[in-house]
Amino acid sequence: MAPSRHAAPSAEEHLRRNTVGINKETVSNVSSTDFPGHFPGEDHAFSIEHFQSAFSIQFHRNEANDASFSLIGIDASLANAFRRILIAEIPTLAIEDVFIENNTSVIQDEVLAHRLGLVPFNGGREGIHNFLKWYKKPAAGEDQYANSFDWNTVRLELNVTCTVNQDAAPTENDPLKAYHHAHVYARDIVFAPTGRQAEYFSGENAIRPVNPDILIAKLRPKQTINLAMHMHKGIGADHSKFSPVATASYRLLPLIHITRPILGADAEKFQKCFPEGVIGLEPVTREDVSKAGSGYEGHLGEVKAVVKDSMKDTVSREALRHAEFEGKVKLGRRRDHFIFSIESTGQWDSDELFLESVKHLKLKCKKLEQQVINMVQ
Amino acid sequence: MPGRTKTQDDASSHDADMQDVPPSAQEAIGQDAEMREDAEAEEEEEEEEIEAQRVRILPGSTDTAASFEFTDEGHTLGNALRYIIMKNPDVEFCAYSIPHPSEPKMNIRIQTYDGTAVNALKKGLSDLQDVCDVVAEKFWSERQSFNAEQGIER
Amino acid sequence: MPREEYQVPTTSGASSAGAMTRGATGGERHDSRAVMTYICGDCGGNVTLSKDALVACPHCAGRVLYKERTKRMVQFEAR
Repeated sequence: MAPSRHAAPSAEEHLRRNTVGINKETVSNVSSTDFPGHFPGEDHAFSIEHFQSAFSIQFHRNEANDASFSLIGIDASLANAFRRILIAEIPTLAIEDVFIENNTSVIQDEVLAHRLGLVPFNGGREGIHNFLKWYKKPAAGEDQYANSFDWNTVRLELNVTCTVNQDAAPTENDPLKAYHHAHVYARDIVFAPTGRQAEYFSGENAIRPVNPDILIAKLRPKQTINLAMHMHKGIGADHSKFSPVATASYRLLPLIHITRPILGADAEKFQKCFPEGVIGLEPVTREDVSKAGSGYEGHLGEVKAVVKDSMKDTVSREALRHAEFEGKVKLGRRRDHFIFSIESTGQWDSDELFLESVKHLKLKCKKLEQQVINMVQ
Repeated sequence: MPGRTKTQDDASSHDADMQDVPPSAQEAIGQDAEMREDAEAEEEEEEEEIEAQRVRILPGSTDTAASFEFTDEGHTLGNALRYIIMKNPDVEFCAYSIPHPSEPKMNIRIQTYDGTAVNALKKGLSDLQDVCDVVAEKFWSERQSFNAEQGIER
Repeated sequence: MPREEYQVPTTSGASSAGAMTRGATGGERHDSRAVMTYICGDCGGNVTLSKDALVACPHCAGRVLYKERTKRMVQFEAR
């Protein structure tokens, strides 16, 4: 059907196809075109070898709770699948049931329960990822705790009573000094290990809030909060308290192409149209001047605007609003360069999370492949 | 409002003590292993049970032009699968849709020049797995070299 | 919790309030209803009031009295 030898587009043409145009009031060339039959005589059939050679990753930042890296040479549909899995499908442990024995604080029971649910927790990774398994809610009529075991339920307690601080001056106005436990913080939550949990969650591996300073409630003397909690594993699709990420997002690499020289005072103004570090000012070199048709002729030694780091750009389009830059600059974004930014809530490391999302997509496909085989039989 | 001044101990009329609420159905540690085995065996059985058919061919489909309905899948898989199937030169047309947002269903339509639609779907799913392998592998090696370079130990 | 399940907090503990209909009087039930414990809004002390007693705290004469919270465990989903 197709000729055996396919023409490959030039690097220039490839870049043109993969650039989303950012114009004054519109965005152009937004859809992918890398499909067989889209360009006559070109082969765009999927091949893993081709993908492997075109795909690359660059790390920008890698901390436990904040990672940033670029996926280059991948389609938006795949990058988006990873992002969506990060937010909604990777399991974490969070408070699910709250058993309130007593609560005389001003915060209502249901509001208190909701606040507790949103507190992110951390603990021994081995225990959280491998030892703890899914919890299945008992059916109606079944014993409420029929499915609660040490391998799917973590018990926490919170018992706080506010009392008057006898050592404080009688005129003390700061509740934190005048009373004991005027504020209830996440650090007041106590983990109560059961069964085999002691093996996985002891010492520094104990189940604990990621941030001990999260304010849960405020109390006045004689008010008390006395409750127990059950944590279960869940996914972000069910409730956002289970989402392992604070944010997981990507943006496309901004491109700034200066088509005609921007010199002198204009160059300085041009620099101010972008965030700091995006545009640099350099003197016009002898080399520039000697190039015929470059527009630099006769401007030796003047300052010119050059693109220093387009990744820092926010694509505000400010440069397109000024008449003096008209026709001198083209803004765009690389369609196949995704700058991911993942901020973990603490139960996983950010880089580990991305890897988990890739594994998750693979597993999904594997299961469905078997399902398709079953379907045909 | 001031708190209740009575202590916990004299509150004899507790209807349900927290002690009655077990976090874990097992009590003695000796019982643990046995119970866990039971529970795991149960779970395995359940998992087999859960493997219900989640893909079906919609009525009106032919060999070369078929629609598939995926239960409990959404845009995450739908769009990724659509892209990878469209990369198959035997495929004339591929698109996905979620007919109604409150139904957990995702439909994929595949029409082929050559071969069956089912084979195109199979190839799509296996290509997607290959892509995941490449991404995971490159990500890991890049992470390792970046961490070594930056002196990050984790 | 549905209103029907609400139990009046009592110190005696032996209460059949669950089956009690609103406004039921007479016999033992009357006794358990006759004395109620409240919490003073001013001093926080316990205040027991009998049927026709003056609504005021005997310790500080505060006239704002709060009802006690149920002694049952109440379960919520953290959602």
